[in-house]
Amino acid sequence: MAHMLEERGLPTTALALVLPQVENTRPPRAVITPFMLGRPLGEPNDPPFQRRVLMQALNLLERTDGPVILEHFPDDNPSWFDRPGWQPGVSLPALAIPVTTAQWQAAFAAELALVLPVWDRFKARFGRTTVGLAGQTPESWAAFATSFLDGALPTVALHDTPALALRFLADDIKALYGEAVQADGPPPSARQIDTWFWRRTIAGQLLIALRTVAMQSENNALKTVGGRFFVPTPWLPV
Amino acid sequence: MARLDDIPEPTRTAVRDIPCPSFETWPFVTGPKLAERRIGIVSSAALIHRGGTPFPFGSGEARAVPENWDVRDILTSHVSINFDRAGFQRDVNVAYPIERLREMAAEGVIASVADTHFTVMGSSDPKDMVESADAIAASFHAEGVNGVLLVPV
Repeated sequence: MAHMLEERGLPTTALALVLPQVENTRPPRAVITPFMLGRPLGEPNDPPFQRRVLMQALNLLERTDGPVILEHFPDDNPSWFDRPGWQPGVSLPALAIPVTTAQWQAAFAAELALVLPVWDRFKARFGRTTVGLAGQTPESWAAFATSFLDGALPTVALHDTPALALRFLADDIKALYGEAVQADGPPPSARQIDTWFWRRTIAGQLLIALRTVAMQSENNALKTVGGRFFVPTPWLPV
Repeated sequence: MARLDDIPEPTRTAVRDIPCPSFETWPFVTGPKLAERRIGIVSSAALIHRGGTPFPFGSGEARAVPENWDVRDILTSHVSINFDRAGFQRDVNVAYPIERLREMAAEGVIASVADTHFTVMGSSDPKDMVESADAIAASFHAEGVNGVLLVPV
């Protein structure tokens, strides 16, 4: 994209996260950062840190010694590493894997009832939520999601197909839980959040179960999104 | 760079080995001092406004992101489930630094912030984004943008 915009007369500068891609594409100006994928500015809620990153990238716009200028940002972002002693702010009972669809629905609904008040605290603290892709409210999530375990193929007005409806519901479930567990205190690392969600929650286990059902479905769209977009590979059962 | 050793497979191999376009020309546009720049953002996070339609998988489209969107209502519909969302959940600026740019404009570090920014689906093939590049360039030229910040996720 940088190359195409420069061809069209626009000076560009980029924040780059993956060195091999930068070395291959050689954009006109880029700052290569050591941050995790998904955080190109490095540190959330740290304006001075973000500003350092931005200034290094924007200052490249004044350079005239192209056609390729690549710089490295020197520092890790502070929250890359696990926070010692961190405990999730959401207290959940010991994980017991349901068997029947009715049990899954009841267990997920009961867990959501515990998580939702904590999620409200996140929204109050940070003034935002990224939940909102599913096209339905959390009150309907348990019945909607677990119906797929029985072979149902429901959808919602926002999405054209059951596959997309379930795919974006999966995104919202992960977002709501991820936000709730960050509601209080200093933030955990991304790895700590993922470990809690995929190893300690009914919601995480439900997504793994839905992936299995989706991949056995005769609905090709559901098979595709279930296999690729519900559960990150590191968290698949071994 | 994001430490490749810390990126789990298969994402590590995918981002390392993803086919990258090669070019026969090396355009390099220069301009005035930073304090005279009007800055526009291009984000690869497939941003949408709350209630909007998520980007389709593989889409080469570019969508406008009005500068005055309330940051509380900006969501990401990027297809990948293998990059961190926790930072963006707490702070939109970690992937779409609109508030940082506003501050810099208020302080005179940059001249101004574009009225319209753009977002694409970062995992899509750049060959499908030629028309998007045309549209982005036309909009930025029309409102006097003379510095583009590319922010991939």
